Amino acid sequence: MEFEGCSCFRQRLVLSTLSGKRVKIRNIRSKDDNPGLRDFEASFIRLLDKVTNGTRIEINQTGTVLFYQPGLLYGGSVEHECNVQRSVGYYLEALLMLAPFMKTPLRAVLKGVTNDPTDPSVDLLKVTAIPLMKKFGIDGDGLEIKVLKRGMAPEGGGEVLFTCPVRRSVKPVQLTETGKIKRIRGTAFSVRVSPQMANRIVDSARSVLNKFIPDIYIYTDHMKGASSGKSPGFGLTLVAETVNGTFLGAEVVSTPQGQGDPVLPEDLGRNCAKLLLEEIYRGGCVDSTNQSLALLYMTLGQQDVSKTLLGPLSPYTIEFLRHIRDFFQMMFKIEQQKPGEDEQKGGEKVLMTCVGAGYSNISKTIK
Amino acid sequence: MEKKEQKRHQHKHSGPKAQKKNRKREQGQEQDERKRNPRAFSVQSAVRMAKTFHRTQDIKTKKHHIPLVDRTPLEPPPVVIVVMGPPKVGKSTLIRCLIKNYTRQKLSDICGPVTIVSGKKRRLTLIECNNDINSMIDLAKVADLVLMLIDASFGFEMETFEFLNICQVHGFPRVMGVLTHLDTFKNNKTLRKTKKRLKHRFWTEVYQGAKLFYLSGMVYGEYQTQEVKNLGRFISVMKFRPLVWRTSHSYVVADRMEDLTDPEAIRLNPKCDRTVSLYGYLRGTFLKNKCQVHIPGVGDFSVADVSFLPDPCPLPEVIKKRALNVKERLLYAPMAGVGGLVYDKDAVYIDMPSGHASRQQEEVRPTTELVHSLIGTQATLDAKMAASKVSLFTGAAALTPEEVQENEKQNPMEIREWDEKAQRERRRAVFADEDDDEEESDDEEEEEEEEDEEEEDEEGLTTLKKEDEKAAPPVKKQKFEERVEMPAFADSDDELEKSEDDESEEEEDEGDEENEEMEEGEPVKRSSGPDSGLCSEEDDEDEEEDSDMDEDGDGIVKSKMSSKPPEEENLDTEDAEMGYETAGALRWKEDLAQKASEAYLRHQLATPNLRKLVYGTVAEKEEEDSNDEEELGGLFKVSRPEKSKKVRADAMDCSRFHPDSSHDWDQEEMLASIRDCFVTGKWEEDKDAATLLKEDDELYGDFEDLETGEVHKAKTKAEGENDDEINGDDDDDDEEEEAPQVKLDDDEVQKNKRLEKKRRLKERFDAQYDDGDATYFDDLKEEMQKQAELNRQEFEDVDDEVRVQYEGFRPGMYVRVEIPALPCEFVTNFDPHYPVILGGLGPSEGNVGYLQMRLKKHRWHSRILKTRDPLILSLGWRRFQTIPLYYIEDHNGRHRLLKYTPEHMHCGATIWGPITPQGTGFLAVQTVGGIKANFRIAATGVVLDLDKSVTIVKKLKLIGYPYKIFKNTCFIQGMFNTVLEVAKFEGASIRTVSGIKGQIKKALRTPPGAFRATFEDRLLMSDIAFLRSWYPVSVPQLYNPVTSLLMPVGQKDTWAGMRTLGQLKHDLDIRNKPNQDSLYKPVVRQIRHFNTLHIPKELQKALPFKNKPKQMQAKGKTPRDLQRPAVVREPHEKKVAALLDALSSVYAYKNKKAKAEQHAKHKEFLKQKDKQDAERQKRLKEERKKTFRAMGQKEKKKLKSSLKGASKDN
Repeated sequence: MEFEGCSCFRQRLVLSTLSGKRVKIRNIRSKDDNPGLRDFEASFIRLLDKVTNGTRIEINQTGTVLFYQPGLLYGGSVEHECNVQRSVGYYLEALLMLAPFMKTPLRAVLKGVTNDPTDPSVDLLKVTAIPLMKKFGIDGDGLEIKVLKRGMAPEGGGEVLFTCPVRRSVKPVQLTETGKIKRIRGTAFSVRVSPQMANRIVDSARSVLNKFIPDIYIYTDHMKGASSGKSPGFGLTLVAETVNGTFLGAEVVSTPQGQGDPVLPEDLGRNCAKLLLEEIYRGGCVDSTNQSLALLYMTLGQQDVSKTLLGPLSPYTIEFLRHIRDFFQMMFKIEQQKPGEDEQKGGEKVLMTCVGAGYSNISKTIK
Repeated sequence: MEKKEQKRHQHKHSGPKAQKKNRKREQGQEQDERKRNPRAFSVQSAVRMAKTFHRTQDIKTKKHHIPLVDRTPLEPPPVVIVVMGPPKVGKSTLIRCLIKNYTRQKLSDICGPVTIVSGKKRRLTLIECNNDINSMIDLAKVADLVLMLIDASFGFEMETFEFLNICQVHGFPRVMGVLTHLDTFKNNKTLRKTKKRLKHRFWTEVYQGAKLFYLSGMVYGEYQTQEVKNLGRFISVMKFRPLVWRTSHSYVVADRMEDLTDPEAIRLNPKCDRTVSLYGYLRGTFLKNKCQVHIPGVGDFSVADVSFLPDPCPLPEVIKKRALNVKERLLYAPMAGVGGLVYDKDAVYIDMPSGHASRQQEEVRPTTELVHSLIGTQATLDAKMAASKVSLFTGAAALTPEEVQENEKQNPMEIREWDEKAQRERRRAVFADEDDDEEESDDEEEEEEEEDEEEEDEEGLTTLKKEDEKAAPPVKKQKFEERVEMPAFADSDDELEKSEDDESEEEEDEGDEENEEMEEGEPVKRSSGPDSGLCSEEDDEDEEEDSDMDEDGDGIVKSKMSSKPPEEENLDTEDAEMGYETAGALRWKEDLAQKASEAYLRHQLATPNLRKLVYGTVAEKEEEDSNDEEELGGLFKVSRPEKSKKVRADAMDCSRFHPDSSHDWDQEEMLASIRDCFVTGKWEEDKDAATLLKEDDELYGDFEDLETGEVHKAKTKAEGENDDEINGDDDDDDEEEEAPQVKLDDDEVQKNKRLEKKRRLKERFDAQYDDGDATYFDDLKEEMQKQAELNRQEFEDVDDEVRVQYEGFRPGMYVRVEIPALPCEFVTNFDPHYPVILGGLGPSEGNVGYLQMRLKKHRWHSRILKTRDPLILSLGWRRFQTIPLYYIEDHNGRHRLLKYTPEHMHCGATIWGPITPQGTGFLAVQTVGGIKANFRIAATGVVLDLDKSVTIVKKLKLIGYPYKIFKNTCFIQGMFNTVLEVAKFEGASIRTVSGIKGQIKKALRTPPGAFRATFEDRLLMSDIAFLRSWYPVSVPQLYNPVTSLLMPVGQKDTWAGMRTLGQLKHDLDIRNKPNQDSLYKPVVRQIRHFNTLHIPKELQKALPFKNKPKQMQAKGKTPRDLQRPAVVREPHEKKVAALLDALSSVYAYKNKKAKAEQHAKHKEFLKQKDKQDAERQKRLKEERKKTFRAMGQKEKKKLKSSLKGASKDN
């Protein structure tokens, strides 16, 4: 399969790895002043090479053409130095998609930036993606994301441990009921700044959310010494849990040192709370960052009907759906659900329905 | 021995006995067995009770299977029945008889699969399996039922067993044995014995009690009707088990093949790659468009296009009668030329059935009618062919006229023929021919033209057609069809879509990117036929609403589009799909802008269509199309900046969804809009805690407080009792609100409420009591059941065209699969007697890698297998040759290479081959060419693991010799060549042949490769030190698919791949010079010489004389003087001596004679004596007896008298 440009770079490589189809990407920033693959993309390719066996990667001299022939997903113990241009979340999102289909359970230690403003942070994925994976039958002791060290944006220095068990197949799901939000949890963290920052964040975030629900608890997490990374910063991750076990998350991080105006912790807390409200407004059984993950697992499920209620599709998800069609010849039935007249449950929802591709983990050994 | 009629027992109906019995019965009824006899049921032993309980539970759980979701299609594809057997056993005859039994038709030549309707719910596809191991393997993979024919007069043949083993490996289909040639047995007893013998052998192979049929004799070259009928009944009621491989892979047993290659291309290069369409029922699971398939015997191909066709052999629609009528007993066998048409490579033969059969057929099959009419028209052959496709399609008899027309449009039969001829002229001929027909048919012809221009779009076109019918009222249908120009429709459709998208923009306010996408979307939507044809339900609704507009649009479009020649459209389609721009694209784009703007105005209020947004457009592709902006018009120009393309192509790869800027979360309204998302918000009616509580109250409200003695009554009960007062009294808010409205039908409401309450009560009760013994297994089963239900229902009401997009083509559909780039030999050497199977491949199953498998040499195969000898494997759908390496796993997990497979044990094998899911079975044969005398299946096994690298090692011993020895240290040379090599092995343990262990210490500078080693003991110079190491072996990357279908007709079973080393040596007559040391030579034993025993002198002295070595000299030669001289006689002396000799011999003779006489006399005498003795003895014995008897009597008398005396005394 051939593609142009480096948008959706991860999607293409991940789907290629899962479907076994080789991929050629041309014209990667060919018109750019600095053509070719960026360091973080190269680092991503290296990570893929580490978790697979027999992958063939060819990059031309300028880095504008990439040929990727996927091998088999191997897993095992992997340690990867992620590029600091993107946060660990960038790499972790791809690993979440691949991890259940490995030969041996994955235990990946990713080092780099744990929180930055562009990508979903490790904390957010921990509180939203992991419960989502559990719904697809990927659970057990092994499934865990752990922040060993926290590293903020420009310099990094964080360390994240991700472990995931392997599965032969993924269960079909019927996630059509969001349920009502019963509690809000969160983590306010601060590294290499005053620990008071976290408390200030918590107070401001609570002030917004208290109007809706009293059951709010925001942990403060101040890391010191070796586990505090190389750059200062602070941030907040909020997650709303519904009675049906849906987790909707939002997060805001302080602007990295030396990039743009600094933010006040109070503003940050309020913004984050508002983002969470926005996420709740969008609604659905899967939050907006994990839409593609949920859709991928639905695609790779057994040959049964899966349904998921999502909020409005993000542009990333729309691209992902197209790529799923290209790689797996799978189309989703997309039905829009308008909110009722007197209901006050946020915006439009989208009900995604598909028949799984009957994918089975071909890497796993049988004895 | 006659049986007497016994008098039956008379029950008493009256009298005391009857009364007693009645009393007993009454008691028994009212009293439980347990109650009446409690001791019999009491627990005697707790241990035994536990044991029995365990046992019953064990038996129960043993019966459980892992529940699977039931994915069988509602309308299943025909059952594949493979008729298998060695040659001359009666396969064709049986098929013919079965066909006759089911359809009352006679098929002369069985050629390719034959599909028949056998019952109200079952269709059968009969395939004959010829005596080629390739066909046997392929058909075993698709067969649902195997009819295994066995020549009873001969017994089992090797093929039968081979086939059974093949079946076993690839999941066991149902197997039914059929014994034929039973009429050759003259003797009834041998017949019976043979039957029994064969039956038991068959049972051991299949399973105990497997069905074996007997076809006893032939009547006019056919089997007896009754027996065939019985067999048919068995087939009709047979149930089949789902097999793992087949439920996870889609497959098609092709029953038709058409070559679609451009005839011009063939003319230019007869060996060019062909585009071929294959037809057949889809089986297994869903087939996705553009997936990869494997055709066993040809290779892997990617499907260019899949479309479904109306069923050529449909089941009866309405089932009202008990049996099928003659019209419904359909027969479909295109390869055998059923339907009056036989397709040959360069001609079409029309077969006229003769005699009574034809008359019957005439009424039955409209096909024949049309064929007749065809013949009547005396048109050119081309015209006939064109028309023939029309006729064939009507073969689907049960369709309505409209549908029939559609079918005709889609007729698949025609396609191959067209490609052979020049398209233009033929088409013209059709026009001329059919001109006098109604105009409708004319239109159809036009459509057909288009169709063969752009075959890929076929699917899309039909969709359009259907949608069109749906949208417009039926009256208008005619009109529509008249001016149907397919691309125009596609456009008009797109107008709708686009405009909808535009509105969605407004509504969704998603920012400019979507806007962009939508606008970019148009060209592709317009151009790619299938895509534009797709419409979700919402879309359909839209269309219905706006049907008038639709028509308007059509009008406009038609006038514009009709001028365009179809070729150009075709170009457009392809171009757009390829993402290139051509000049042809410009023209149609001009009107687009106009139309779009019009439509935009019209459809401002329609709903957005997300599906179009996601799938209808692909952002990157259109960018190129729209480079020149003048053709796009004002509307599009605005929203797309020139460099947007680059931005999109290299956009930031981030999954975050940035929030909508329009939402201001400081405002109260916004906050209010999500109020209900929280538990603190308002709940739905059925989940509200208040209502739930109230219901609970209704159910469980009745209770009595034992302490206070207060009695609480449920409120609603009271309500129920006094209906009249209810409205006012109700304390529930909702009901209060509703009350005024529903006042009129009060009773109704009350009734509903009561019903509802009852239902809830029942549910609760069920939950409480059923869940008690509901096990995990039951839960799982229920879950699966639910999923199956959901699977069935989810897409049930969706139109097939759309449904296919979501699900893929579902099993049971009759599909046409177009495959490009097939080797020309497939077409030129096509033989319908060989099955053509399209096996769908899952994701990444088209790749090649290393496979680790568990393998066992078949116990009937005569030889063990050698590592690196090529082997032909049948794995998944594939048959391929590869080079396996055999290994065995050591205790420490090391995979050690084996030179040969073990004789009776499993071993591992690693091959380079196609990625196939683990757990798939395979079988191996050494050759597929020719028929060898012995059992051909060499090995069987299962795939364990897939990998891209191998871990097999073989043992390597490095040998070195000591050249200097200091105590326990010594210098060893000859093991390595350089210092570096030694450095790598520093610390490795070495050993001498005599068993002294040691370690490599350090390399020496000279000689290169020598090193210092220490040992646990001193070495000798004659010792040899060796290092045991493991050397990784690489698996040869040979993957050579068996291309038996490409062989010329009649030689398809002669495929030969790579030869084994042994064969090569044999063929080239190469002999290895063996190592002289390895040769066997005759064993010659040397005679051993022992030294003489030496006894010391001292000892000699001490010995007793007899043991002393004797000092005697050996006797020397007699001296000459002592030797006696030889006597030389005179003649006279000689005479004397002779006389004396004669006399002495006479004397000796006389003596001898006398002795013999004497001996005889003595013998006689002895006999006499014996006789006398015997007589004497006899006499003596009698005498003795007499005396003893007398004595005994005397004694007795004495005793008696004394006893008498004694008794007297007493």
